[in-house]
Amino acid sequence: MTAVIETRNLSKWYGNVLGLSDVSLGIEPGITGLLGPNGAGKSTFMKLLTGQLKPNIGSVSIFGRRIWNDFGTFAKIGFCPESDAFYEEISGLEFLTGLLSFHGFSKAEVRARAAKALDIVGLTGDKDRKIRGYSRGMRQRVKFAQAIAHDPEIIILDEPLSGLDPLGKRKLIHLIKDYRDQGRTVLVSSHVLPEIEAMTSHIILIHQGKILAQGDIHYIRDLIEAHPHVISIKCGDPRGLAAKFVNEPYVLKILFGSSGDSLVVETHKRDAFFGRLNQVVLESALRVEEITSPDDNLQAVFDYLVGK
Amino acid sequence: MLKTIREVFAFFFFLGKRSRKMKVFFLLSLLPVALAVLVRIAFAGRSSEVMSVFQEILMVYFLQFLIIILTLFYGTSVCSEEIEGKTLPYLTTRPLTKGGIIIGKFAAYTALSALMVFVSLAASYLIMSFEKLGEAATYGALLRYAGVLLLGLMAYTALFTFLGTFLKKSILVGLAFGFGWETAIQYFPGSTQRFSIVHYLKSLLPYYSEGKFSILMFRLEPTSPAVAVIVLLLITAGFLGLACLFFSLKEYMFED
Repeated sequence: MTAVIETRNLSKWYGNVLGLSDVSLGIEPGITGLLGPNGAGKSTFMKLLTGQLKPNIGSVSIFGRRIWNDFGTFAKIGFCPESDAFYEEISGLEFLTGLLSFHGFSKAEVRARAAKALDIVGLTGDKDRKIRGYSRGMRQRVKFAQAIAHDPEIIILDEPLSGLDPLGKRKLIHLIKDYRDQGRTVLVSSHVLPEIEAMTSHIILIHQGKILAQGDIHYIRDLIEAHPHVISIKCGDPRGLAAKFVNEPYVLKILFGSSGDSLVVETHKRDAFFGRLNQVVLESALRVEEITSPDDNLQAVFDYLVGK
Repeated sequence: MLKTIREVFAFFFFLGKRSRKMKVFFLLSLLPVALAVLVRIAFAGRSSEVMSVFQEILMVYFLQFLIIILTLFYGTSVCSEEIEGKTLPYLTTRPLTKGGIIIGKFAAYTALSALMVFVSLAASYLIMSFEKLGEAATYGALLRYAGVLLLGLMAYTALFTFLGTFLKKSILVGLAFGFGWETAIQYFPGSTQRFSIVHYLKSLLPYYSEGKFSILMFRLEPTSPAVAVIVLLLITAGFLGLACLFFSLKEYMFED
């Protein structure tokens, strides 16, 4: 697949403060999660991608065109900013119709698109209320609506789930996945790792203005050889299972659970371990109740990469 | 560019009408109307004195207070309200030219200011010229005053828009300029007063030597009306052009 967003040696400083350093990457259609703690450079990266900031060094290209002051390209981008900022004195419908009119649609199309976007985010019933009176969740939803209303090919969402209740988060995640299924490019930032994990396994890890890793979470995890994979297995005979693995060279440590029905294996070759585990289970007819990998999530990857 | 200006104008004119700022300024702009009613009552039967009071209201309230206050708040807010309110990304991530955003907002806010000023000017003037409502000259004079105030609104709004694009505390600088420099320089002799906007506005008004506030015209060495109009239009175009340039080149950061 071809990258629709490309950055080359992208760097940004705020005076003496480093915002982003030497970022070269490509983002393809689908959902890409941009992960990092607060102040890592996520918003700076997104502002550079959306042409709000000019790079000090390097370039950003969207569909092969440099984005800075290239107003035509903005029609293909939907941006949901992080800040809880609105034109408070107008209604959700007026907010959307006003912003849609900037795209040159006819009045009828503006109204239709605004109504559709409000329907998608579940705000049809509140469309005539002033934004000032919206709850935090409604404000997040109307902010998302303005990002999708003009049907952009690229959707860039800066902390879109912030302030939403669990049900609202679930709905929005579902919506974002719908856009992925339509073949669009969605870049979502968050510092809450399970949120990103619920949307995608393709991530960009950013810390102190630098990209630590990019790719599939499992692939990234495999790259980190210094830290073993931890695999927990709940089964009827943990001691017997442990005996089958104790001499394997890729097994670093075996621990038994306190309840006596599980073991925790540390390995630096996950694929080899699971290949052998399949064999053992089939040969010995072992009853395995549960296999989990407690550290194979974004938090673990992130912690490993930043050296926690 | 024209399409951008039109769309931005429509949105911000609508937004401006809804704002609390508009309501406050509209009330402020109606003060001369109330004053006109009081003057009519107090100076009943003395129409020449009534007109003299109107000139003073025009000079002091409209020219040296109302249009400066309106343009200061609206002009500086063209850019700064988007930055302080963090709403700028809603505009700059749309297919809008940056110059179009500035000119569209400038036009919307100038139109709103003009609407308030014209309503107030027309009402107060017509109340005070009640006996002469049948004369064409009455309306000719009204149009002239309205034209002068419109030129003033455009020139000041352009200047303050420009200040708002690159100064954080543009309103303070604007206050110092509008109520400091513009007032003080009128008392300077010679051509120094030509370094003010108000000089060119006054040059377009009839010369009055009577009335308590005639001192405001005392040292006026008027520029010819044609030159004054050209200078005011150049000031408007120049500062608006600079505002567009700064807005296009500058990156705006939000304070967390």
